[in-house]
Amino acid sequence: MSDAILWYTSRGAGAVTLILLSSVVVLGVLGTQRVHSPSWPRFLTTGLHSNLALMTLVFLSLHIVTAVVDPFTNLGWAAAFIPFDSNYRTFWLGLGVVAFELLLAIVATSLVRGFIGRRSWRAIHWLTYAAWPVGVAHGMGTGSDTWSAWMLGITSACVAAVAVAVLLRITSGSRDPLAAPRTSFRAAVDRRPPR
Amino acid sequence: MSVLEQIERAHLLGRGGAAFPTATKWRAVANRSRGNAVIVVNGAEGEPRSQKDRLVMVTKPDLVLDGAFVAARELRANRVILYIGERHTEARAAMLRALNMRPERERRLVTVSHAPARYVAGAEAAAIHFLNDGIATPTNLPPYPFESGVGGAPTLVQNVETLMRVALLARGLPAGGTMVTLAGAVARPGVLEVDPQTTVGEAIVTAGGMSEAPRAILVGGYFGRWLDTQDAWAVPLAHGQGLGCAVIGVLPASRCAICDVAGIMRYLASESSAQCGPCFFGLRALADACTRIAADASKPDDLTRLHRWASEVRGRGACKHPDGAAIFLSSALQVFAREFANHAPHDMRQTA
Repeated sequence: MSDAILWYTSRGAGAVTLILLSSVVVLGVLGTQRVHSPSWPRFLTTGLHSNLALMTLVFLSLHIVTAVVDPFTNLGWAAAFIPFDSNYRTFWLGLGVVAFELLLAIVATSLVRGFIGRRSWRAIHWLTYAAWPVGVAHGMGTGSDTWSAWMLGITSACVAAVAVAVLLRITSGSRDPLAAPRTSFRAAVDRRPPR
Repeated sequence: MSVLEQIERAHLLGRGGAAFPTATKWRAVANRSRGNAVIVVNGAEGEPRSQKDRLVMVTKPDLVLDGAFVAARELRANRVILYIGERHTEARAAMLRALNMRPERERRLVTVSHAPARYVAGAEAAAIHFLNDGIATPTNLPPYPFESGVGGAPTLVQNVETLMRVALLARGLPAGGTMVTLAGAVARPGVLEVDPQTTVGEAIVTAGGMSEAPRAILVGGYFGRWLDTQDAWAVPLAHGQGLGCAVIGVLPASRCAICDVAGIMRYLASESSAQCGPCFFGLRALADACTRIAADASKPDDLTRLHRWASEVRGRGACKHPDGAAIFLSSALQVFAREFANHAPHDMRQTA
């Protein structure tokens, strides 16, 4: 009986992870657009992205631990950390491990951003665009519920949301609110000979 | 005893405003110099009320150059750059006259550069950015100037008054006192050289006393602190004790403190180089709230916001510009608490 609970938990946590991670990606992608309203609390515009990312890791850990502990799959701890090391659905599970480790790197570097510097942090943060699709592919490939109507609905909603967010970001270009004042100040202190 | 040891023994602190120990700065450059260090003689003097750097350059240019060449020798530098405010024409002329009397081996080290007349242009990082790229805005630290400054070489950026003190020490003389600029309601405003441990009150008396009844005194220019007159009176004019750029401003009781504070905050906000949000948006928000209170159209929570923002903006900027403005404003909120709470509308033309 307890095996069934583990299995259900792992499936549920996987689905929740997909929803959370997609929300984090959408918030991150749109974060630079500075969509905000004075009536929103400040955590909505700045803190929500990072807090949801931490919560994603919690559910992801739950998903992994329950999957490993579940005697049916007989995964073993090594398979949870070494990509493509499991006997059980080697390829699709490996994708999950890859996505997990990428996310771990992204979150860890964000927590120590002050130490590693903005440039390296940003480079590593770009890995999100690899981690998210790999994670989605893992879910589609090995998810027990992939083809059930509700899971199809969740997956397609997540994919659509991220796609729309990325499209919005690409089309709207950069909106740096400091760009204009910075340019005018630099012009005022710029003494380079005119070319 | 080497000059560096003399500087160390005299506990000479930088006179540009930050009061950084000169010996520490020199040692950092000396340790990295391979005969390629650069000495930047900082005479940008962008602080609006300060005049002491210009006075030093006009009256003692030979000592400033002496100090610069002592530094060049001591730190094995192969370049000396005179970074003088573009509007300080008299100071530049005096420095160039003095330079022409130096021997060729010294003169050939020197180039002259015109610092843009903006508040941040005198900041060490802005000076280096200007000398490297022609744009006088502060940059991220590190790398610090002693690591990678002008042309990537270890660089010493030193205020002109500090270099004058170095020259005195190198001649075996005492470093002497402190140059201060007295401004506002004093009988004879201008620059004074005072002995160490002279107090603000003694300096004002030396300058003929106050010209009218004072309300408060600003110690350290626009990055300084407002103090009640009696508190300021006993403050020693010694660097490293909050003297900043050594401008002492006496605000007469006849002027409106709130309107003056708002005016200075607007100025500091307009001097933000708009490189980071906390500075550009933070200072603008602070200046706007001050202006609303000054114009008596303030919202009820403007004062609460001012207190909160003034503490929040500190330490968040890419450079120290927002910190300086926030220190100024926090002290104003404290000293002028009564006026901030009960400001009534009046003719704004009073604000200079």
